[in-house]
Amino acid sequence: MTKEPYSITAESLNAAGRGNIPAELMTSTHLIYSSPATLAFNSPGAQGFGVKRAGLSIPGSVMLLVSPGCCGRNTSLLTEMKEYRDRFFFLLMDETDLVTGRHLQKIPQAVQEIVDFLPQKPSVVMICITCVDALLGTDMERVCRKASDQAGLPVLPCYMYALTREGRKPPMVFVRQSIYSLLAPVKKEPATVNLLGHFAPLDDSCELYPLLKSLGISKINEISRCGSFEEYLAMGAANFNLVLNPESRLAAQDLETRLSMPYIELARLYQIDKIANQYKLFASALGASFDDTKYRREAEEAVRAFCETHGNAVIAVGEMANANAFELSLAFTRYGLTVAEIYGTPTDEDFVYIRRLAALCPASRIFSNLSPTMLYYDSGRVHIDLTIGKDARYYRPGCPNVSWSEERQPFGYEGVTKLFTAMKQALDTSSSEGSSR
Amino acid sequence: MKGLWKVIAPFAPDQSGASAVLYELGGILVICDAGGCTGNICGFDEPRWFTRKSAVFSAGLRDMDAILGRDEKLVEKLCAAASRLDASFAAVIGTPVPAVIATDYKALRRMAEKKLDIPVITIDTDGMELYDRGASKAYLALFETFADDDPRTIPNAAGVIGATPLDTSSLTAGSDISEVLKQEGFDTVFCYGMGSGLDDIRQAGAAAKNFVTAPSGLAAAQMLQSRFGTPYEIRYPVLPAEIRNRYPSFSGKKILIVHQQVIAHTIREEAEKACAGRTLPQITAASWFMMADELIRDGDASLAEEDDFIRLVRNGQYDIIIGDSLLKRAVPEFTGEFIDLPHFAVSGRM
Repeated sequence: MTKEPYSITAESLNAAGRGNIPAELMTSTHLIYSSPATLAFNSPGAQGFGVKRAGLSIPGSVMLLVSPGCCGRNTSLLTEMKEYRDRFFFLLMDETDLVTGRHLQKIPQAVQEIVDFLPQKPSVVMICITCVDALLGTDMERVCRKASDQAGLPVLPCYMYALTREGRKPPMVFVRQSIYSLLAPVKKEPATVNLLGHFAPLDDSCELYPLLKSLGISKINEISRCGSFEEYLAMGAANFNLVLNPESRLAAQDLETRLSMPYIELARLYQIDKIANQYKLFASALGASFDDTKYRREAEEAVRAFCETHGNAVIAVGEMANANAFELSLAFTRYGLTVAEIYGTPTDEDFVYIRRLAALCPASRIFSNLSPTMLYYDSGRVHIDLTIGKDARYYRPGCPNVSWSEERQPFGYEGVTKLFTAMKQALDTSSSEGSSR
Repeated sequence: MKGLWKVIAPFAPDQSGASAVLYELGGILVICDAGGCTGNICGFDEPRWFTRKSAVFSAGLRDMDAILGRDEKLVEKLCAAASRLDASFAAVIGTPVPAVIATDYKALRRMAEKKLDIPVITIDTDGMELYDRGASKAYLALFETFADDDPRTIPNAAGVIGATPLDTSSLTAGSDISEVLKQEGFDTVFCYGMGSGLDDIRQAGAAAKNFVTAPSGLAAAQMLQSRFGTPYEIRYPVLPAEIRNRYPSFSGKKILIVHQQVIAHTIREEAEKACAGRTLPQITAASWFMMADELIRDGDASLAEEDDFIRLVRNGQYDIIIGDSLLKRAVPEFTGEFIDLPHFAVSGRM
């Protein structure tokens, strides 16, 4: 038996083609290895924004998790964080609940008890349910209406259905729809836009803010910057939505239907020319134009500075970062860098990047973060100078790393500038430590 | 209301307990879930995950797998993994999803064993019980399946059942317990699941005595006693010095210990010995986890709800509470001394 992790070169993956991704890279065809990237998704309380944290994005909200005890287990980590203390409550199911569904009868009373228990009335109670209710076919909307009538405050459903991860409405899509569902029609403010997609704000220095202001947009809303429930409700006055993460598309469509609020999607990219092109198209859709020269130059300068000193660096890219691992790898190769390994889960949509990656860096090896064979990943096989992403750091401990997974979100040229600056710093520090030894 | 927890987050569930027992034994562990339960185990309840690799995988169930009861697909996935991994057995560990669809674990085991050339065990955990129930089931399944009827002779050997990070809140408990028992005169110590492997489980019948360090180990110890005549003793031999050093100050105090019962009871017995000749402390042991009849004294409390604990503290007028500091949140009005004794299954702290 060869103890080898499964991997495939970009060239071979591209040759296999869209719609023909090898089973080892698919999530539903094999047992799933608990890599850090898997855990980031499957253990959402542990790190990043999963359904539980995301569900509490509405200011002043609290969450009642209605589930077997195991589903709420890792929430103790969150309850230790100041901003989540006293915001999680648990209605634990037992076997009788599972058989009879009687737990649903208890929810209105539990909501009332929570409201009575808290010194201040919450703005919203989110009811989070899990796989068992997915299988029981629970009509949680109905239960929430009943609880809302009884407690006299909004009660919203929130679905932590890992079973539907590859479905039309995966949990992270659903929760985004849910948290914007309380926005109601109010008088439109033409100079207002909502940024949808993330549960933490963009970096304060992101060029998107001044670029939008240059178009006359004076108010830019993000749910994570709303200090009160009233500020959150004011998002209903926006003229349009900017969708910065495709998982918010459904929420944006819902707002378009309910509030006649159109939306435009902008992708997070690391290829400078593509960023420029995207901004150009966006501005022209609004009948305007941007002067993005300054920001573009800063990004180009950061890339040049890195390549000048570390142009021969061999990089490994993970998916547990604020980037699409394949788009980022393509960006690196287009800047003349070598990407030897990618730890990711390719989808059909990623082939637009994989096709070009295969042409520029055909030997890049793609490892599945989900494959059981990653148990045998050996970092000694190939030399890597720098890793990007938390998962890449896990596979290659000791190698200089930029985790690039902070909660504040990078975007646009500023994302490129900051990433390359961090990469240079990581390698400069590593070199100076090496020479001082 | 019953089932509503307002302050304390849920404790480690039964599938985490089962996984903790099997973790070091070199098998393929398949958590029969959609991903979240495995995430809880590897990302939270199993502190060894980031320092010592083990083949713990999620079955990756999807809604249609569950609705259609596609056991054969799970077996195919298991066979595919087994063909590429070096494993001595496979274990399928249950979660709420198979509980809802009433998975027949015996049938699943037979199906898998027909296609694999390694033994298969199944643990029917459901995510609604606590970790100790799952651990207990795993110990029983292990010894029933693997313990040789005719083990080789190993003179003066001791077995330890009930040591997992969830119970001991330590990554070195296996070696620590072994060291103490060797100092007490044993030549060989098998700390099952924490330092000792599957071969040692096979030789379990050779132990001269078993030590039960948590209630989760009791059923297996009783089974080994009945099968091999091995006597057992219930005791936790490696209590932290910070607690032991405090024993003299417990004299005359009213104390509540909230932990796994063997630790709570061992503290009680040791403290009473340390206070001999003076006013003995009045010590109550309480636990949300399994309570062995052998250790229960009048006044001890088996807790079911968060409110049970709050009520116990409110009515008990204790001078001292010993327990995981996470529990302090539930009793903000308690004015006595709270001595922190982490319980990993409660707070995820060592």
